[in-house]
Amino acid sequence: MLFFLIGEALRDLRRGGRVAVSAVLLIMLSLTALGAFWVLSLNLGRALVQWRDRFRVVVYLREEPPAGQVEGLLEKIEGVGGIQRLRYVSKGQALQALRRQIGGQASVVAELPANPLPASVEVTPAAEAMTPEGTRALIQRLSALAEVEEVQGGTAWVEWLAQFQGLLQAIGLSLGAVLALAAILTATTATTLVLHARREEMEIMRLVGASEMVIRLPLLLQGLIQGFVGALMAVGGLYLAFRLALPTLEPLLSVTLGLPGAAFFAPAEIAVLVGGGSLLGGLGGLRAKGEKPA
Amino acid sequence: MIQLQGVSKVYRVGPVKVTALADVSLEIEKGEFTVLAGPSGSGKTTLLRLLYRDEVPTEGEIRVAGFDVTGMRRSRIPHLRRAVGVVFQDAKLLPARNVYDNVAFVLRVLGTPRREITPRVMQTLKAVGLSARAQALPAQISQGEQQRAALARALVKEPALLLADEPTGNLDEAMADEILYLLSDIWNRGTTILLATHRATLADQLKRRTLVLDGGRLLKDED
Repeated sequence: MLFFLIGEALRDLRRGGRVAVSAVLLIMLSLTALGAFWVLSLNLGRALVQWRDRFRVVVYLREEPPAGQVEGLLEKIEGVGGIQRLRYVSKGQALQALRRQIGGQASVVAELPANPLPASVEVTPAAEAMTPEGTRALIQRLSALAEVEEVQGGTAWVEWLAQFQGLLQAIGLSLGAVLALAAILTATTATTLVLHARREEMEIMRLVGASEMVIRLPLLLQGLIQGFVGALMAVGGLYLAFRLALPTLEPLLSVTLGLPGAAFFAPAEIAVLVGGGSLLGGLGGLRAKGEKPA
Repeated sequence: MIQLQGVSKVYRVGPVKVTALADVSLEIEKGEFTVLAGPSGSGKTTLLRLLYRDEVPTEGEIRVAGFDVTGMRRSRIPHLRRAVGVVFQDAKLLPARNVYDNVAFVLRVLGTPRREITPRVMQTLKAVGLSARAQALPAQISQGEQQRAALARALVKEPALLLADEPTGNLDEAMADEILYLLSDIWNRGTTILLATHRATLADQLKRRTLVLDGGRLLKDED
C-alpha cells in the first residue's frame, strides 16, 4: 500500500508539471533566505558567546596593597556581589604583561624610571550581571570602594551585537515567513491542479470503497516530497555558497568578530530545515480542495 | 441483500421540489438477479445511487448487504462500497492506464497484498474474456470491451452485490448480448445482481424478476 501511495504521489508530481516545480523552487527560496540569515545569526551567536566569556571588569587600585592584605582586599571586592571570579594583577605583573604585548619595543619599558602601571583586579561578572544594567550596577558598587581608583568595563557593545543578532533573526524569519506563505500557496495550487486531473480517479477510488485517507494521502505525500526536495536544494545551495565564500569569509570573521572560523549548520539544524520544508509542502498538500466527497 | 422501506428522494432546485422516488418499498434476496426497468427519468439511477450511498434518502430506510445505509456515518461508506460493485453506462475507465492497471487499481487502493493482485486481476480479466487485451489502453479497445473491463473492475474485489446502471446503453445489440451473457455468468457464480435498464425488451429477454419504476413510483414487481 505504501509503495502504491508513494507511486501515486510521484505520478501526481509529474502531473503537477510547472506549478509543482514552482512550488519546489519557492520552498527552496524561502528556506534559502531563512537559512542564510540563520547561518549569519549562528556565527554572530558564537562570537557573542566567546566575547561574553572573555568579558572582564578591570578594577584599578589607588595603591598596591602589601602582599599580606591582598587576600583581604579580594574578599572585600567579592563581597559587593555579582562576581563569578576575580584575579589580582600586581604592578609587576602588569608591567610584565605590557612587555609581552609590545614585544620588540620592550626595551622602552626598561628605560622607565618607575613602574607607572597600577595594581588591578580583573573581575569576571556572574551570569546575572552580564547585562548592561547588571554591569553598570556592578561597576557602581566597585567604584564605591575606598581602595578603588577607577573601574573599566561595559557590555554595551556586546549587547548591541546581541540586538543586531536579534534583528538578523527577525529579518530572516519575516522574509522566510512571507516566502513560506507563498510556497504553501503554490504547493496548494499544484495539488489542487492535480486534484482536478485526478477527478476521475478519485471518483473511482470512492466508488470502490477506498478510505478518505488512501485518497488524500498521495496529495499530502506530494506536498511533502515537494517540500523535502525544495529543502534539500536549499541546504545544498547554502552549503555550496558557504564553501565558496569561506576563503573570503574566514579572515573577515577573524578580524571583525574574533572568530577562528565560520560554522555551517549542525546535522540537527539541517534536519530542522529539511523537516520545515517538508512541513511547508505538506501543509500545501493538505490545504488543497477538490471535489466534495459523496 | 437489499431492503427498502418507504424510501423517497426529493431534490430541491431553488423553490421547486422534484420527486425522484416516492415511497418505494422492496426486498431483494441474496443471489437474485433482478431487473430494474423504467423509462429515462423514472428514478432507476437515483435508486441505485441510494443503494451505494451516493445519495441519502429524504425519507425511509435502506439496508444493503447487512449495512444500515440510511443512518450510515461517512466513515462507514467505504465499507459498504467494498461489498458493492457498480458499473455504469459509461465504462468510466481511467484513460491513462491500461486494462490491467484499471482493474488492479481497485485492489491497490483497497490495500490488497501485492502478490495477490496479479493472479486476481488476470483471473477476473479471463472471466470477462479480456486477458488478451490486458495491456491495451481504453482508447485501443471497443466499447463492448471497455464495458467488460468496467465489469472486471467492479468484480475484482468480489462484491456480494453488483449494481449495473444501463451497462448496455451505449452498445450495439451483439455487444449488449455479450454483456448480458457475462452478467448471467457472474450471477451463476453467486453474485446478487440488480440491473437497471430502460429497455423493456431486455427485461423480457432475461426472464428475471422485474421491478418497474415510473415517475419515481414502483409500479410492478413481477417474476
